[in-house]
Amino acid sequence: MSVAESEPPTFLRPDGKEKVTGAGRYTADLNLTGQLHAKLRYADHTHARIISIDAGRARAMPGVLAVVTHEDVPDVLYGDLAQDRRLFAKDRVRFEGDVIAAVAALTREIATEAAAAIEVEYEPLPAVSDIEAALADDAPLIHEDWESYEADEALGRDGNVLGYSTIVKGDADTAVDTADVVVKGRYVTEASQGAPIEPRALLAQWEGDRVTVWSSTQVPYAARAGVAHVLQIPQSHVRIVVPLLGGGFGSKCDFHYEGHVAALARAAGRPVKLVFSREEEFIAPDHRREGMVIELETGARKDGTLVARRGRLVLDGGAYCGEGGFFAQMAAMHACGPYVIENVNVGSTLVYTNNQPSGSIRAPTAPQVCWAVEQHMDELAEALELDPVELRRRTLIAEGDEGPTRQVFGPIAVRETLERAVEMIAPDGDLPEDEAIGVASGWWPSFGNQSGAYVKLNADGSGTIVTGAQENGSGAVMALPVLVADVLGMKPSDFSILYQDTDAAPFDAGSSGSQTTMNNGRAVVAAAGEVRDRLLDLAAEKLEVAREDLELADGQVRVVGSPSKAVDIAELAGSGEQLLGKGSGPVPESPPCDAEGCLGRLGMESFLEPQVFTHAARVKVDRETGVVRVLQVAAAHDSGVIVNRLGATGQVYGGVVMGIGQALLEVSQLDAEGRQRNPHLLDYKLVTASDAPRIDVAWIETPAQNGGPKGTKGVGEPPTVPTPGAIANAIARAIGERIRELPMTPERVWAAGQRG
Amino acid sequence: MTSSFVSATGVDEALSALAGGARPVAGGTDLVVGARQGKTPLPESLVAIHGLDELRGASASDRSLRLGALVTHAEIAAHPVVCERLTALADASSIVGSHATRAQGTLGGNLMNASPAMEVGGPLIVFGADVTLRSGAGERQVAVADLATGPGTTVAEPAELLTEVEIPLPPEGTGSAYVRLEYRRQMEIAVVGATAAVTIAGGRVAWAGVAITALAPTIKLVPDAEEALIGSDGGAAAVGEAARATAAAAEPISDVRASADYRRAMAEVVARRVVSAAVARARGETVAVPASSTLFAGGAS
Repeated sequence: MSVAESEPPTFLRPDGKEKVTGAGRYTADLNLTGQLHAKLRYADHTHARIISIDAGRARAMPGVLAVVTHEDVPDVLYGDLAQDRRLFAKDRVRFEGDVIAAVAALTREIATEAAAAIEVEYEPLPAVSDIEAALADDAPLIHEDWESYEADEALGRDGNVLGYSTIVKGDADTAVDTADVVVKGRYVTEASQGAPIEPRALLAQWEGDRVTVWSSTQVPYAARAGVAHVLQIPQSHVRIVVPLLGGGFGSKCDFHYEGHVAALARAAGRPVKLVFSREEEFIAPDHRREGMVIELETGARKDGTLVARRGRLVLDGGAYCGEGGFFAQMAAMHACGPYVIENVNVGSTLVYTNNQPSGSIRAPTAPQVCWAVEQHMDELAEALELDPVELRRRTLIAEGDEGPTRQVFGPIAVRETLERAVEMIAPDGDLPEDEAIGVASGWWPSFGNQSGAYVKLNADGSGTIVTGAQENGSGAVMALPVLVADVLGMKPSDFSILYQDTDAAPFDAGSSGSQTTMNNGRAVVAAAGEVRDRLLDLAAEKLEVAREDLELADGQVRVVGSPSKAVDIAELAGSGEQLLGKGSGPVPESPPCDAEGCLGRLGMESFLEPQVFTHAARVKVDRETGVVRVLQVAAAHDSGVIVNRLGATGQVYGGVVMGIGQALLEVSQLDAEGRQRNPHLLDYKLVTASDAPRIDVAWIETPAQNGGPKGTKGVGEPPTVPTPGAIANAIARAIGERIRELPMTPERVWAAGQRG
Repeated sequence: MTSSFVSATGVDEALSALAGGARPVAGGTDLVVGARQGKTPLPESLVAIHGLDELRGASASDRSLRLGALVTHAEIAAHPVVCERLTALADASSIVGSHATRAQGTLGGNLMNASPAMEVGGPLIVFGADVTLRSGAGERQVAVADLATGPGTTVAEPAELLTEVEIPLPPEGTGSAYVRLEYRRQMEIAVVGATAAVTIAGGRVAWAGVAITALAPTIKLVPDAEEALIGSDGGAAAVGEAARATAAAAEPISDVRASADYRRAMAEVVARRVVSAAVARARGETVAVPASSTLFAGGAS
């Protein structure tokens, strides 16, 4: 039973029509009187010492109103778990997207010309693009001053090592020798990109000592804190407003360019607008899903029991920490996966390189690691002479089982997702010889966060939800009225939503971590609960009945059992009483675990209310060319109770298609110094609608015990996780060869076929 | 940055603007996209020719099909004479870029952009098409095969405007196809492409044309592949020989789309498939347009 069924089958998201018709206004559509146009000057080397910056010629150009460099802003460092970067490069550049200066001019063309006219003298340094090379003893340091940075102690930083985490359970080194079968595998993934269709756009305006920044960000409150920090002004002097957001996929998480544009607008004394080109969007920090090296070794008994898993992972963090500091530990957890493994020893290293900084691209680290682990499981099944589905059936975690950090799981339906996915994809008869099916299972945690909302009723009985949550396009914010309406006995369409304005609403962690329904859902339910209490008080007085005998339904407060004795909510709302509610709801705590032996503990060692899933993919391989077509994906998910089935299923469709891109085509090719060779949509190959396969979706709704309202978890990230692994296993089955590099491009599949 | 923009109301006005140094723009699918991508800045002076109706016509006679420079890819792909007699051109026009590209992009612009990966070039060369280049001083005919001199360059003078393409209709009994290796179905550019046309008379191949796309600095004919087919029965052996000759003629490069080795290997595969499709069509068998979608794993299942 889901709430959406109370208004079937057409819960229409409030922002749908304006987006579909083109009437909606995105940040780049906004213009202010007197606005200037900005252009950033980027680094000319991926690693160099800056000897001098001379903006004199640029400043003197007609039409240029401001040029800003590190000299024009406070000398402060920022970053999440490690504060390792400046708004404007001061003495070093560390990747191609490092910003040297920003120009504001009357036109974009003048700004572009002026940015190019800034003279920068460098001493080039050896660039480190390869992650294994960055770990070498004699590797050049990306951050010479790393020891002086403020950072979370748990990261375990050391030179080019930005973070090191281990997951240790029992004694894997000894146990592996007791296994009947041991398999080893090395898997390498290249970087891909979040690639939302809307390149980022920003517009800043100062009024007195307060600045408003309209920004295409997924995290307005982090952006506010960032601007306040880098300009050393109070957060109350910074207002972030997000117009419609044209996609993010995690690439617009974290604070970035709001600071540059605010500094520029202050210097110019006029509003300043910055709209990224596609190429700028591609090289922006956090836009990238990192490359990895993943080495796995698993020992099993003949019956499939997983005796030991050893692993070594190296992740490309890029030039700066950004908000990706926790990636090493997250990757290590995924290297274990939702399996019962008796002994574990996985070490995971996040390294600095001169590449683009990695960010929280939709389920960060999970698709790549799942791709490796699930191939590894199929290889183990082959060595055990077991069917890959049967091996998973015997080893996936069930209720009461212990995870890699001895977390004991409550109801968890990953095995059910396996059975459903396999059932949905079962072919009618034998497959043609060029087709095959593969499966992959996985997990992704829920994140408990602070979040707040207000709910108010208007005099005509309509309502308004004021929320700090950010809508990234997934529809999570758009579905909040379903939850509020349910509390108040009203219809979702009775509510408008005021969102994406940091001055209006309470704090929210933003559109990241699939956390909106889980956390802001609790907040709006709590806020609606306050309104409900007030309505009950007013109705009890008016109807002269006990409060306990009343219910809210069909737009009325009425007496249970005698519905004719009722008062309209609209009447109460119009009676002059203020009907205001506020809420945040208690933040769920992470469940207990035993991570005593683990290093680099950043909170990922315990998975709160994991979302679990299995995808099965049917592929057709053209052996002569290596071109792989995905014909069908069966996706079975347990994300707890589903509030808006149409929206949730849409997330699976999108996640599957994104997963196909990651599996087969999407890759940022780098030159030896870490510059992208294909930062544009012709040669960075996103999968198109024409390539989308048949997608069957099943929801297994195990109510979350410690999650969001009504037993909800999250939905947004998991669908992109298991698709590459399922496709990899299908390809291996079709051609009899494994592809151990991601993406599994036609050329790689063809080359593997040549070996076979 | 463009400082002068004229929207021409007649061909003569367009030609005088060209003589004055302006560059023409029609659909803008190469010019504007290229400028946005930072490849080539927009020209200083532009003359828009999209309003010139006299460049928009398509007329067929017994001998040839004449297409104005402004005919779009979508219009070509839907033209009945193209579908029936010049099927390779239908294959090519129907897979250029995306729906938007095909609705907006023009034949003249595509040819003058002179990309060695352009879809329609191979079919036009194989069919022996000519273009008309007009300037204030007069006009001349140039074979499409001789138009491009390298990636992005042509024999046309700056003052010349491509106004028309004339495609001779091949004899009855001819089948043709264009096939590209594609990684995705829309928004794609040929990694390797090939065109084949064969005329079958009395069970033997009486005439053949084979061209390769994205395998050399310009799209080019492969005489050795044509010789392998002419006089044969169009069977597997002859097709295989033609395919090997095609691969041998390729001068592939390594770039972000593929390595030279892979391209060379794919040249043979694509050539084999395209010649087989042309032979099948010549024999009256159905190979759905666009052939690329059915001849690769792209095939719907």
